[in-house]
Amino acid sequence: MNIYIYGIIDFNKEIKETVTGLNGASIYNIPYRNIGALVSDFDESIPIKDEDHVLEHEIVVEKIMKNFTVLPMRFLTVFDKKDNVISMLNEHYSDFREDLDRLNNMVEFGIKAIWPGAIIRERIENAYKKAQSDLSLSTQSPGKSFIKEKFEKYKIDKEFEEEADRCIAIIDDFFNRFVAEKRLEKLKTDNLLLDAAYLVNKEKQGDFKKAFEELKASPGDLKYLFSGPWPPYNFVTLLPSASHTKSKRLDTFDKIFQHKGLKEAER
Amino acid sequence: MDKIVTPQDKDSSLDILKEKKVTLLEVLDRALNKGVVISGDIVISLAEVDLIYVGLKLLVSSVETMERLRGAPMSGAKEEAT
Repeated sequence: MNIYIYGIIDFNKEIKETVTGLNGASIYNIPYRNIGALVSDFDESIPIKDEDHVLEHEIVVEKIMKNFTVLPMRFLTVFDKKDNVISMLNEHYSDFREDLDRLNNMVEFGIKAIWPGAIIRERIENAYKKAQSDLSLSTQSPGKSFIKEKFEKYKIDKEFEEEADRCIAIIDDFFNRFVAEKRLEKLKTDNLLLDAAYLVNKEKQGDFKKAFEELKASPGDLKYLFSGPWPPYNFVTLLPSASHTKSKRLDTFDKIFQHKGLKEAER
Repeated sequence: MDKIVTPQDKDSSLDILKEKKVTLLEVLDRALNKGVVISGDIVISLAEVDLIYVGLKLLVSSVETMERLRGAPMSGAKEEAT
């Protein structure tokens, strides 16, 4: 038997919510002390087909999130028997308990900021070249030219990053007052200036959304992507550690990416 | 899912379609790359590394593609803070 886990919740009794899991499977709670693991049973392998299953996982977590604090599990966390789920809960109880308390009444919002990286880099390069051309340059050996080129690239990269830092600080300042925690990632690509996740108390959701509207209305040519509220995927803190549990990741991971829809999305 | 995603104006069916796509990508990014990870005897295979990589690649490339499809190219960066 396979036991698929959707999340860890701050509840140790039978759940009353009418929610179905992957492939319409029923969901129940495996209790341990004052927490529980939200799971579905599957007789054999879990027939993962496409991204719809990822959405089903997400829908379960979001429905449960309405009434409980949830630590969402990463998609496709599967154990082979109930005893191993309980062993896992026992082993990580203090981590789960701490996270459940910290994330109580919290939701996550995503903010992405996109800037014209190539244009900014070109502008920095041009400014640098102009400054260099104003200097009287003597003939240099190939070795010195090579080092000079490397140094120029370093200076341009550094200035590009510093400009990104300045812009991110401006964006972040709009939200700082309303967030409990944040995860900011800078320049995943030259154009994706900021990929941010903010942890926000449910009572401050309105303020956070208003802050985003103010950011959007501010001058500048950046593009923004706002999403949420999400379960706090980015704010769980359980780190990989030694475990005697018998859980396993399914071998069908890569099949997800054979799906036509995802291939099209990639293009 | 009742998810607010605001990549652009909401005044055309094309925009709505794009929003749905972006929502899916946001879900994929979280459910595939974030969340509680139980390690130990779990099989952490190369497939998982690929999964993380592909997930990010999908998200980043699609967000950028979405912006390109919006039409008006971006020009000039936000002014620096003073």
